Amino acid sequence: MNEVDNRIKLIIVSGFLGAGKSTWLRHQLFENSYDLAHVIVNEVAVHSVDDVLLGAARRLDVLDGGCVCCDKKSQMKQLLHRICNERTSKSNNEQSKYLIFEMSGVADPGNILEAIQDDQILSRHIILHEIIVIVDYLHAIDQLREEPLALSQIQAADRILIAKAENFQPVQLAQLISTLNTINSNVEIKMTSFGVESEKPILPITNPIEIKFSNNNFENTPIHSVSLDLKKFKSDQNTWIVFSTWLSSLLYKHGEKIVRIKGVIKTPGGRLLLQSVKKIMQPPEKMPDDLPYYSGQDDDKIVLIGRSFNSTKILDSLDRFFKDA
Amino acid sequence: MCSACGFPPAIGHWTDAGGATPHDRLRIRFSRIALLKKLLQPHSIFVHEMGPSQGVQISNGRGKTVICEDLDEVWKQFELFTGSAFDPLNL
Repeated sequence: MNEVDNRIKLIIVSGFLGAGKSTWLRHQLFENSYDLAHVIVNEVAVHSVDDVLLGAARRLDVLDGGCVCCDKKSQMKQLLHRICNERTSKSNNEQSKYLIFEMSGVADPGNILEAIQDDQILSRHIILHEIIVIVDYLHAIDQLREEPLALSQIQAADRILIAKAENFQPVQLAQLISTLNTINSNVEIKMTSFGVESEKPILPITNPIEIKFSNNNFENTPIHSVSLDLKKFKSDQNTWIVFSTWLSSLLYKHGEKIVRIKGVIKTPGGRLLLQSVKKIMQPPEKMPDDLPYYSGQDDDKIVLIGRSFNSTKILDSLDRFFKDA
Repeated sequence: MCSACGFPPAIGHWTDAGGATPHDRLRIRFSRIALLKKLLQPHSIFVHEMGPSQGVQISNGRGKTVICEDLDEVWKQFELFTGSAFDPLNL
């Protein structure tokens, strides 16, 4: 059986309006960071300028005049079908390895993934690789206060890049990073200047800024993360069966509270990378057995990020599930 | 792709991953059904495997039996049968 996953790797580039998504992407394409990438740009404006900026992309499609979350959803699906179809007819060397989706500033990455997953054909062709969120150093805190959508974008991120921080104030930047970490504790944060990425500078220790909305709805409930260590349940073959049964029942009953799940689990068929955006589980990705930079230290550790759930209850429930199994 | 209708079969639930060989996959399926039996029996919901074919039968012990394709459907059907969703936090 061929174990190579030949699905196109989806990289979602998200971030609020004007955060610097296109600048970052343009530089990545210039540097050729993503081999043979197919780029999709979604613009709310009727006339897109991003496609002009992104001339370096070898394959580029533009969805303008609406957000793919809602009014352009069917066009997005049609486009993705076309891309997948064309890709299938190409030889391995010519096939795009990455599909980079630059979303409009007002789109929620979770909705795009849901649309892909609900589609029988697209879910076979596309696999989520990474969600990159660009954050505007100058306006991020204001946007987080005013727009729940900016908050959803941060929550969904695997990697956050802080842009426009060339003349940063150390305390202000430290506060921003600590606020972002409170919203999404599992995220990797780096800096980007005109698309060139760099590590965070050394910063003073500060408290996060409290983000409060005027209306007290569910979105405002604080987010917790709970780390599940499955190693203690003995790494026999049943770990995967019991854990996946437990998690699927948890997602069914309490899925609305889940913001993100991520982790690596050992199964009889090899290591699987598990991840969900909100309650939508992505098809688990099989990881190669011999990764040079990975020694198995994160095996059987799953992080659950969510709202208003009781961490002790979750850990107890998992213990009981394994004991009864 | 199905040779009769030409349509790709369902991609498979995420919980169906984890087996590299047909033997593994079958073993995972049977072990999972055994686990479901244990979990749901106290609620008077009965689980039956369907041999080598995909899916699982669940019945309410009062003559109603439904075939569920995957775990999500099992939880949904459990809720329809019992009136409340299976809650792993209140076992």
